[in-house]
Amino acid sequence: MKTTMLILFTFCSVALFANDKYEQAMQTNIQAIYKAQTVEDMQQAVNAFERIGAAEKNKWEPFYYASFGYIMMSTREEDGSKKDIMLDKATDVLKQAKTINANESEIVALDGFIYMMRVTVDPATRGQQYSGLAMQEFNKALAINPENPRAMYLLAQMEFGTAQFFKASTADACATAAKAIEKFDNYKNENALAPRWGKESAQRVASQCN
Amino acid sequence: MRTAVLILLLFITSTTYAQTIISGVVTDEKGAAIPGANVSIEGTYDGASTSVEGVFQFDTSEKGAHIITISFIGFKTSSQPVNLTSEPIQLKISLKEEINQLEAVVISAGSFTAGEEKRRTILKAVDIATTAGATADIAGALNTLPGTQKVGESGRLFVRGGDGSETKTFIDGMLVANAYSPSAPNTPSRGRFLPFMFKGTSFSTGGYSAEYGQALSSALVLDSKDKADINQTDLGLLSVGGDVAHTQVWDRASITGKIQYTNIRPYFGMINQEIDWVKPPASIEGSTAFRQEVGDHGIVKFFGNFNHSDFKLYRHDILDPTKKKSFDYANNYRYGNASFLQAFNNRWSVRGGLSSNYNENNILFEGKPIDEVENETHSKLVFENTLSDRVELKFGVEHFQSNYKASQPDSLLIQQTVAFSTPITAGFAEAEIYASKYFVTRAGARTEFNGLTEKLSVDPRLSIAYKPFRHGQFSLAYGQFRQVTQNQFLRVNQNLEEEKAAHYILNYQVITDNRTFRTELYYKRYSNLVKFINGNPEQLTNAGRGYAQGFELFWRDSKSIRNLDYWVSYSYLDTERDYLNFPIPSAPSFASTHNFSVVGKKFVSEIKSQLGITYSYSSPRAYNNPNSEIFNNGRTPAYQDLSVNISYLPKPFLIIHLSVTNVLGRDNIFGYEYSETPDNNGHYLSRAIRQPAKRFLFLGVFFTISKNKSINQLPNL
Repeated sequence: MKTTMLILFTFCSVALFANDKYEQAMQTNIQAIYKAQTVEDMQQAVNAFERIGAAEKNKWEPFYYASFGYIMMSTREEDGSKKDIMLDKATDVLKQAKTINANESEIVALDGFIYMMRVTVDPATRGQQYSGLAMQEFNKALAINPENPRAMYLLAQMEFGTAQFFKASTADACATAAKAIEKFDNYKNENALAPRWGKESAQRVASQCN
Repeated sequence: MRTAVLILLLFITSTTYAQTIISGVVTDEKGAAIPGANVSIEGTYDGASTSVEGVFQFDTSEKGAHIITISFIGFKTSSQPVNLTSEPIQLKISLKEEINQLEAVVISAGSFTAGEEKRRTILKAVDIATTAGATADIAGALNTLPGTQKVGESGRLFVRGGDGSETKTFIDGMLVANAYSPSAPNTPSRGRFLPFMFKGTSFSTGGYSAEYGQALSSALVLDSKDKADINQTDLGLLSVGGDVAHTQVWDRASITGKIQYTNIRPYFGMINQEIDWVKPPASIEGSTAFRQEVGDHGIVKFFGNFNHSDFKLYRHDILDPTKKKSFDYANNYRYGNASFLQAFNNRWSVRGGLSSNYNENNILFEGKPIDEVENETHSKLVFENTLSDRVELKFGVEHFQSNYKASQPDSLLIQQTVAFSTPITAGFAEAEIYASKYFVTRAGARTEFNGLTEKLSVDPRLSIAYKPFRHGQFSLAYGQFRQVTQNQFLRVNQNLEEEKAAHYILNYQVITDNRTFRTELYYKRYSNLVKFINGNPEQLTNAGRGYAQGFELFWRDSKSIRNLDYWVSYSYLDTERDYLNFPIPSAPSFASTHNFSVVGKKFVSEIKSQLGITYSYSSPRAYNNPNSEIFNNGRTPAYQDLSVNISYLPKPFLIIHLSVTNVLGRDNIFGYEYSETPDNNGHYLSRAIRQPAKRFLFLGVFFTISKNKSINQLPNL
């Protein structure tokens, strides 16, 4: 009897351990990507996400965070063509996340984020095409989940940038930013690995409003 | 028993946790460290990133045969089988660079590309639409590039001593015959296709790929936009008409329809014109574009348009200007282009299409009808195979069918009809081989069978590019090119052979992020040109010949001065021909030795406006003065033009656009016409060919309606 118990216990702990291992590895690297200050640190976390994603195959989060990492790397890059290469990578890995969960609001919002970053490479040329695409993705993300604070924040960011470019009123953008902050405050998600970033950035947009 | 289980358990655990240490170094092919590379055991979490020195180390509890993969942006992923036995493993990995990265050498001889996606292009798609003086005409914008000649009375692209008919336009690989709208004699015509339809433009001034045939001097290759992403309606109110367009998108398809009406009549009433118009030009045009995505990497595109335009004017006699003849002109044009692209896997892709073109000219000259119908079809199928990232193969077949029919009254006023067709079947094959990231060769050949002359031909094409410096590269190109003689000559003599040209080009170019320098040296030899026997235009041979040679400079800088983007082009051309009615070899009247232009663009956010300015200069051109003993001895004054435009964006969805050509009002003269017979003193009288109006003023208000208010039509202008 004892033996059976022992065996059962070992078995359970192995199974538990397997699940824990995923969550643990993810948590470690999610912390790492949020804290990363240099491109090297970001690359390191991104590599880890890519390894986890390749091993797990049916989890969208590793690819989501790998894509997020590449986007963060692109924000540090000055050279437009290198920025594009990073955004190409971000698109590639996000595509893998999409094949696993096509209807995830967070993934759709991140897709829009990539388009928004594409605009920054060459606003005069790319503004029309990519800002339209970015807005479309943010709205799609909000249609799937109206409570997604990140989609709302990114929308605010895009509206703010556009208003600044045209020297127009930022009132609409500011209202969106305020809504985003409200959504961040009320945000709840049972998934421990769900994205948590964006609140500070939303506050930064809001702080430019008066 | 209990002890036994415990021991067993302990044993299992301990073996499970016996670690294998894997370490090593990752470098590129030259041995330089690659930091940040991802090293992992396939199917597990185990792995590490390389340090600044390219070094990595990690341990794993996995056992047995596994595969280690090493990857990094810009390099090919490498795999290495290992056997994990707790013994430490040391790896030395060298990653191969992927060739198709942005730093690789590209074939640049003779070619200007304007694209949006590729960063390191000389022009961007939007540049074509926003160049001052071009009035949103593709040819007008390309005329500010080296290798072109400003020929103000034509409006077409004249490239390196070639005339306007030697430049052929292709949309999605398919030929467009009659790519220009009709215009009154000696007035500039405009391209039929607006620049905003295209995502990319490749303008080649020589030495182009074996895929493009039936173009003697230049190929203008336009890539139409893919599926639209956003529903929108565009309205345009112009000083010369108006247009309305609507785009509807679905998940995998989109359709755009546009109707445009142009009427220059009110405008011509306001501004004094050189031409004695009875009915100034007016046109109505409709177009539609349909896109359907197919499978993972396939797209089907259809574009179609129709256009009707007409005008009526009086041509005054040079000897006695009170005598005038009426010239009544109507043109009907239809063009359809269907193309597809399908990639089967990473290696093979197939593309092809069908285009058809119908062009009908109805002229009443002093009430006498002269009618002309041209009808061309082009079908094409191309296979592309990526053997590796270093070798790309392309081969295909195509067929051109050109039908021509004209009728006009003879001296007895009896209507005479001429009709003939020219079928051409062609095959081509080409390989692009990268010996390394710094050296590429493109070699190909094109064979054609002309059904009218029943002649078979083979034309070689070769390009080499070498990049010895980080940003600078050399490029060489050579090719044989041919083109069916123009219909106006074929209708006289259908035994005429094709005209031929050989191109030799040497190019050096430096492109850094926001600056481009480019210089090109070329030699072009013409043979088989149409020549009149004893100056008689009814007796034609292929005995004509000629040459063109020169050098060109181009500089573009959007970095040095904030928010200012400018480019400068200079072309030197030395050309002579012995063709048509020329008694001796001489520079043709469309050629000018020096061409110079400066284009500047600046966005001024304080006034929410984009400003543009273009200055162009062309040195004097030759013309023949029948009063002079020497052929082609006359010289026109130099051509100069200063054009400006401004686009004002008060709201994201509204644009007000104003452009003025020839601000300084210079009286440019393109050449002289002479009376057919001398006057009483034995003197031929002349009349200058001038601009139809000194300035062209264009005002437009563009409004976009979509869910997303930040979209406007600026890139369309």
